[in-house]
Amino acid sequence: MGREAILKSIKNNKPDLLSIPEIDVTQFTEEVNLIEVFKNNVNLVGGNIKEVDPQDIDVEIKKMYPNAEKIVSVADECSLGTVQISGKTDPHELNSIDLAIIKGSLGVAENGAVWISENEIVVRALPFITNDLVIVLPKDQLYLHLLHAYEIIGKRERRFGLFLSGPSKTADIEQCLVIGAQGAISLTVILI
Amino acid sequence: MSHAKQAEIFNKNEAKVNWHDKALWYVREKRDNSAHNVKGWEHLRDSASGIKAHVLSNLDEYLIQFEQNALQNGIKVHWASDAEEHNTIIHEILKDHKAEKVVKSKSMLTEECHLNPYLEEKGIEVIDTDLGERIVQLAKEPPSHIVLPAIHKTKEEVDVLFQEHLGTKASQGDPEYLTNAARKHLRGKFLNADVAITGVNFAVADTGGFVVCTNEGNADMGAHLAKVHIACMGIEKIIPKEGHLGIFLRLLARSATGQPITTYSSHFNKPTEGKEIHIVIVDNGRTEQLSREDFRASLHCIRCGACMNTCPIYRRSGGHSYDATIPGPIGSILSPGKDLKKHSSLPFASTLCGSCSNVCPVKINIHEQLYKWRQIIVKEQPQPVVKKSILKMTGTVFSKPGLYSFIGKSARFALKYAPKSLIYSKLNAWGKARDLPEVKNENFDDWYKKRSKNNG
Amino acid sequence: MKVGLFIPCYINQLYPQVGIATLELLEKLGVTVYYPQGQTCCGQPLGNSGYEEDSKGACQVFVENFKEYDYIVGPSGSCIYHVKHHFDILEQTPDVIKVRNNAYEMCEFIVKVLGITDVGASFPHKVGLHKSCHGLRGLKLGSCSERMDPYYSTEEELLNQVKGLELMPLTRKDECCGFGGTFSVFEEAISVKMGKDRIHDHLDSGVEVITGADHSCLMHMEGLINRNKQPLKVMHIAEILNTSM
Repeated sequence: MGREAILKSIKNNKPDLLSIPEIDVTQFTEEVNLIEVFKNNVNLVGGNIKEVDPQDIDVEIKKMYPNAEKIVSVADECSLGTVQISGKTDPHELNSIDLAIIKGSLGVAENGAVWISENEIVVRALPFITNDLVIVLPKDQLYLHLLHAYEIIGKRERRFGLFLSGPSKTADIEQCLVIGAQGAISLTVILI
Repeated sequence: MSHAKQAEIFNKNEAKVNWHDKALWYVREKRDNSAHNVKGWEHLRDSASGIKAHVLSNLDEYLIQFEQNALQNGIKVHWASDAEEHNTIIHEILKDHKAEKVVKSKSMLTEECHLNPYLEEKGIEVIDTDLGERIVQLAKEPPSHIVLPAIHKTKEEVDVLFQEHLGTKASQGDPEYLTNAARKHLRGKFLNADVAITGVNFAVADTGGFVVCTNEGNADMGAHLAKVHIACMGIEKIIPKEGHLGIFLRLLARSATGQPITTYSSHFNKPTEGKEIHIVIVDNGRTEQLSREDFRASLHCIRCGACMNTCPIYRRSGGHSYDATIPGPIGSILSPGKDLKKHSSLPFASTLCGSCSNVCPVKINIHEQLYKWRQIIVKEQPQPVVKKSILKMTGTVFSKPGLYSFIGKSARFALKYAPKSLIYSKLNAWGKARDLPEVKNENFDDWYKKRSKNNG
Repeated sequence: MKVGLFIPCYINQLYPQVGIATLELLEKLGVTVYYPQGQTCCGQPLGNSGYEEDSKGACQVFVENFKEYDYIVGPSGSCIYHVKHHFDILEQTPDVIKVRNNAYEMCEFIVKVLGITDVGASFPHKVGLHKSCHGLRGLKLGSCSERMDPYYSTEEELLNQVKGLELMPLTRKDECCGFGGTFSVFEEAISVKMGKDRIHDHLDSGVEVITGADHSCLMHMEGLINRNKQPLKVMHIAEILNTSM
């Protein structure tokens, strides 16, 4: 339908080719303590963050979410899972999940975001539909800002992935921040 | 109705104007604080602006590249020249899947195309799932802001609205209670939806993927539960490489709300097995805007809304006063390109203060474009006779120093000696709330001549 | 150094004291000032209203009046901005280019060209500075609150050296006052509301005198202040800088 018309119209109307700007990444470089900045920003965006010894992960999570019964764990470091999922699981079935524990690939210090790829969550809906969310993240996988982060994730197999920063939130009623809009109502990042 | 008229009506309730102004100024301040925390902020803006300008100069090639990569990844790609084609394409997809229930996350493009009423007329339920959008949908109003759609509503108004539509109890506008009620209501809609429609924040040419950003998680809740995901994008959403997201995502949320990044920035590249992703690429006047050299840069816009939050006029007139899909400064340079007659008052709804251009993360010269639209509107649209003749006459007077000197003297004479009732008549908009300057006995010319004589 | 004094039309007709203060101040600072006769207007009111075409005559008169000067100095940021930025509608002859390059707002001329910040003035009052948008964002007389640049302000550099003057901090440092030329008439409601809000900021900050480098903004605020009988005085920055010990 419109394809040829649109492309032709662009061809006729676009300006002469402009070069793509050089991005001087050194302008963004800062000497900071990545772990500290990351922790501050996870808190800033409404998340909880804890540095935990890998063998204490289960205990810590139990302490934080004592009432969770239906738990999906797709992080190897955690054995609290009570509900098993696979690529074939109908995402609608996850509506009753209390807690999901997933693995994050990398964290971004400047904004407290964690990169999560489809491989780590098995079912795409999981980190959104669960009531509470825990992300286990190796602390040697922190980067200063998004430009660095994209260099790393640029090598992945692209299916679905996201930067997730804090729990679901909204300020649509009179600019009052409310945590827990449509997605997970709490987020805890466990640094190992 | 002109912007000035609408603004006058909005200003009848000064307390509400103050409330609206403060709410948005608060967002502007959050943006400032957030930007201050980024080393190299201005270089980020320069880079983003440069990338966007480059994209527009090679847009057809990038769209072709994007399409190729998306198709390879199993995404279906559609092209729509205008709103009607866009709506028809979506309806066809819905028919193919016998879809009756649609959940939609925020997309200014579908607002622009009036998709909701179109689908509703075909018997399809369309639920806006962004909380603010849902509020205005229930109130049967258009959004008044592109990022904060219900910013014009008080929490008490939302309370009443939810009592009526969601069966909530009176809560004096408790945001937590109301948000939670909306969460339960929308959860049901997500679980039962056949198709999810989302907008697109960025489409990446070299991967064929696209990114959708939300704070609530509503785009993801819709897209991952429904069988079919339709993503609608204007042609200008393209960026060359995935790595460029590192520039744009650093700017977007900070400019919009002051957050360091949107809560969910989801990257869609391939559909899940057994599901479908469709992309609808829409022109709807954009290629025409591309042809206008002076206004082309308006297509850089990444819809952050920062220009609205900073605009002293927007804050005091409300989004609805613009009577356009995109209100505020950016809307005032986009809308005249779509319908010059309807939107001819918008470029005048500005003091040309330039704050919008300064906050813009992609450095659109908004206030300069407003000035340029004014020149076009005066030429192409019929102007009020009085305004036109006064300004044309002024031009003549200023081009003739002798005449100017005579007129200046007479005007000062008139101002000084005419009865106040005449000066402050209804015709004099200046004098409604302001006094006129006190007129001195001599002007500067007179004083200077006298001084030269005395010194001479 | 041949300096031509540009007195904008509304200052000439309505605020001669501002023109006088500008001239006296520049002379005090050792500048020989010429005042070309036959000045009218820079054309800004027309251009901003969409009648740029009809302003060409006024722009041409401006160029004729000032083409022989090394510097053109005027006490109004927005007019100077118009000359520098919007005279692109004229054919860019060497005269036009020269005039555009050599036009200076008064404060900028004193600080940047003369290299003076202490003009020897004394003004023992609490002063609020209104940074006019065209001066600030257009001529870049100072850093803007929206941009992440190092802080500076040309007007503050001058005011900070005035004996006894106390510069009061404002809540919104550089919000527009709502004058905007014909905007003040055609968008009357918003214009008035913006002006009122600016004035409140000054009052809340304990300001006695509002000043600025653009008298059109000040005229708008003065109109409101007088109508509402508010305890504030309005003076152009040239008037303050021209006070003597």
